Parts: sequence; structure tokens; C-alpha cells
Amino acid sequence: MKKDLISIDDLGLEQILDYLDLAARVEALPNAEKAGLLPGKILATLFFEPSTRTRLSFESAMCRLGGRVIGFSESANSSTAKGESFSDTIRTVEQYADVIAVRHPKEGTARLAAEIAGIPILNAGDGANQHPTQTLLDLYTLRKFFGKVDGLKIALVGDLKYSRTIHSLCRALLAFDGVAMTLVSPESLRLPGYLTKAAAGTTATFRESESLADALRDSDVVYMTRIQKERFPDLVEYEKVKDCYRLEAKMLEGAPARLKVLHPLPRLNEISPDVDATQHAGYFEQARNGVIMRQALILDLLDKRNDI
Amino acid sequence: MTPQNILLIPKIERGIVIDHIPAGLGIPVMALIGRWPELEDAVITLGLNYKSTRMGRKDMIKLQAEPLPPRLLQMLALVCAGVTIKRIDRFEVVEKVVVQVPELFDNLARCINPNCITNAEPHVATRFKRLESGSKHFKCAHCERVCSLDELAGHLKA
Repeated sequence: MKKDLISIDDLGLEQILDYLDLAARVEALPNAEKAGLLPGKILATLFFEPSTRTRLSFESAMCRLGGRVIGFSESANSSTAKGESFSDTIRTVEQYADVIAVRHPKEGTARLAAEIAGIPILNAGDGANQHPTQTLLDLYTLRKFFGKVDGLKIALVGDLKYSRTIHSLCRALLAFDGVAMTLVSPESLRLPGYLTKAAAGTTATFRESESLADALRDSDVVYMTRIQKERFPDLVEYEKVKDCYRLEAKMLEGAPARLKVLHPLPRLNEISPDVDATQHAGYFEQARNGVIMRQALILDLLDKRNDI
Repeated sequence: MTPQNILLIPKIERGIVIDHIPAGLGIPVMALIGRWPELEDAVITLGLNYKSTRMGRKDMIKLQAEPLPPRLLQMLALVCAGVTIKRIDRFEVVEKVVVQVPELFDNLARCINPNCITNAEPHVATRFKRLESGSKHFKCAHCERVCSLDELAGHLKA
């Protein structure tokens, strides 16, 4: 039976850990060996909305495994612009490729693609719903920095209301043991109640705070997010909160040495460039881990994990 | 049925009685029945606001036709789960079933999320899975939006 990766909710803890282990094996491989793993295989990247980072990360992952990439980077460049349905696009592209990574502004598209296509589908983001490869690369980054995910103290900062990345990460962290999350956001961008309620019956804890300085003193990880202008129905509200949390190098002076700052990128003003040179900056390594995790996922979905 | 109710709505010789419809839902259920051409010629009696010891007030529909189309039964589970379907033969109840909320609604309703792909491509069959046994909340199999039974009932497919 073919495999897909559509939602982090489809994965149990065991499967998440298995993907983290597989990514570690991929990372340990010499580049020359990696480049011979997927000759003749084609990844189609169907990006119906722009996303430079995720698309390039998928494409880099495939190219470095020796495969090839076809696709488009916005729906204006696809036959959707001529009125073709999403379903027809998938049915057509599956004839051209061995695996598809799809991003679409509408929720549920990746699941629909997986139902239609006979080849594996990777969800590269479906509207405000899921972005599972981001969650897996975040977990991989945490485990690389700390050797574990269990018991970490993680401050989630910024737009906790609309951030798909944060929602997915929270849900995944609930599966681990004793993760303590501090939620740092303005009143109007608090984490949805259904997520905090989901912690009931787990060993995870949530604590709310409006102070970034407070979170820096007692966390292993500070996960910053961009305030997403495009999500605000009222731009006046956006203006009120857009620069509410800005992390600067001087704020990290008293922080514990182990503290790592992560960000799904792109960043705007929420992390000052002077943080980049500190030992705490983890976000570019996080981006690098995205390629590794996506390589692991592509290999798994193409049933090539035993080749490494 | 109380003797008073029997006078208000006569017995039928053969057919189906949909009983214990929550008061106020009798007319929407009639509208549902009206979607089935095969029931077009059936003699139908609609009773509203009967006294009921269990429900206070209830509606009731009697159809001199059988069987009920399976999809209509599924829609009844969405709109008014808990109703009783009685099959009548020679004026007697020969079978009685209480309509339960199922674990899955298969292509009966549209997703409440306007940004769900199933609303952009209406040929796609929707599926809504019950969150857990006993819950009145369902999750769209595509966009993962959780909605209540009442919200789904307001989004019946044509």
C-alpha cells in the first residue's frame, strides 16, 4: 500500500520517533552516497501558493538524493489558471512523477490528492490546516540540540492564534513526555482553547505569559513566530501587535547557555539580526534540518528506506 | 400513542411511521422526504406538536409507502437522530428501529469550512468522522475542521 504524509495527527509517537531516527541516518550518510539513492525518480512540487523556503527545501532534498524535480511555484503558472480542477491536476501530474509535494491555500487538498493519486503525497501545507514536514523538522531540530524532546521547556512566542506551525507543533509535543510550554503572545493572538484543552490527560503543561524576558530566563527553547499580516481581517489590529515581541542579542545576555532560538522563517522584525551571531541562534540549522527531514520522508514514501 | 393522538392522526394499514421527531423538525423532515421522487405518490400525513410523555411535544409523519430510501434514513440520522422508524403492516407495528448517530457521515453534508477543498470541488465525496463514541462532534476527513451535528445538519448536500 502506498504511503502519504498528510497530517501530524495521523502519526503516533512511535512513527514520529521512527522518522526522527531515519532523518539521523540520512544525515550521517556521505553526500556522494546520498546522491545515488534516487536516480530516475521524479518529485513534482505543486505549489498553488508561493512558498520559497518549503519548495526549495523539498527540491534541494530531492536533487541531493539524485532525483529530479518538476513543478510550479504558483497557481498562475499552472493549468488551474485555465480553470482546471485540483483533482484533474493531480490525476495528470501523477502520470509524470513518482511522488508529489503539494501546497495549496485551501484546507484538505493534500488529503484529497492522497485519495486520488496512486503515488505518494507529501503535504507541504494546506491552507491553515497542516504542515507536517515543518513539525517533523522542528522535532528533529529539538532532538539534535538537546538529545531528546521529553521534558523540554519550550516558549512559543508571537502569533499563537493563526500559526499553523505552532498548532501542529503543539499537537505533536503533547505526545512526548512532560513537555512544558510557555505561551507568550498578546491577548488577541492567544493559542486556541481546543489546543490547551487537548493537554488534559497528557503529561504536557501550558502556562501563559505576556513577557518574553520572563520566558528567556527559564526555557530550553524559544520558538519565535512571525505575526502574519495576511491572516488579519482588520489591519488596524495587525498594526497594534506587529512588533510586540522583538528578540535582540542584549536580551539573551543573562539567558542559560543551553537556550536555543528557533523560527520557521521567514522572519521580519521579531528576531534582530544581531541574534544570528550568538550561540543561541538555531533557526538556520533548523532550515538545514528541513532538507534532511524531507529527504528521510521522500525515501520512506518511495519505499527506499532500506537502501540506507 | 395516547388515545387522543390516535384521533388526531389516523392509523395506516401499511407503510412507515417516523415517530418522536423533536417538535419543530417535522416540516424540515417533510422537506427532506420531498427530495425523493419515488415517494412522490405516497400518501403522507404530517402531525405537529403532539403531546408526548417522553418529549413534551413531538412531531410525527406517516407514509403509506415502504421501504424508506437508505440515504433518507442516513439523512434522518443527521437531522434528527433519536427518531423512531416503525414499519406498519395490517395496522400493526411489525418492526421498530431508533435512528442512531453513526460513526461516519458519508457524502451527506457539505463541510462548514468555506475554505475546505470539498466546497471548491463539489464532486468530491465528503466524509465526517465522529470524534469519539458518544460525541456529537465530527471531523471533516479532508480539512480536519471539527463541527457539531447541528452545524452539519445545516449543510445537507443537495
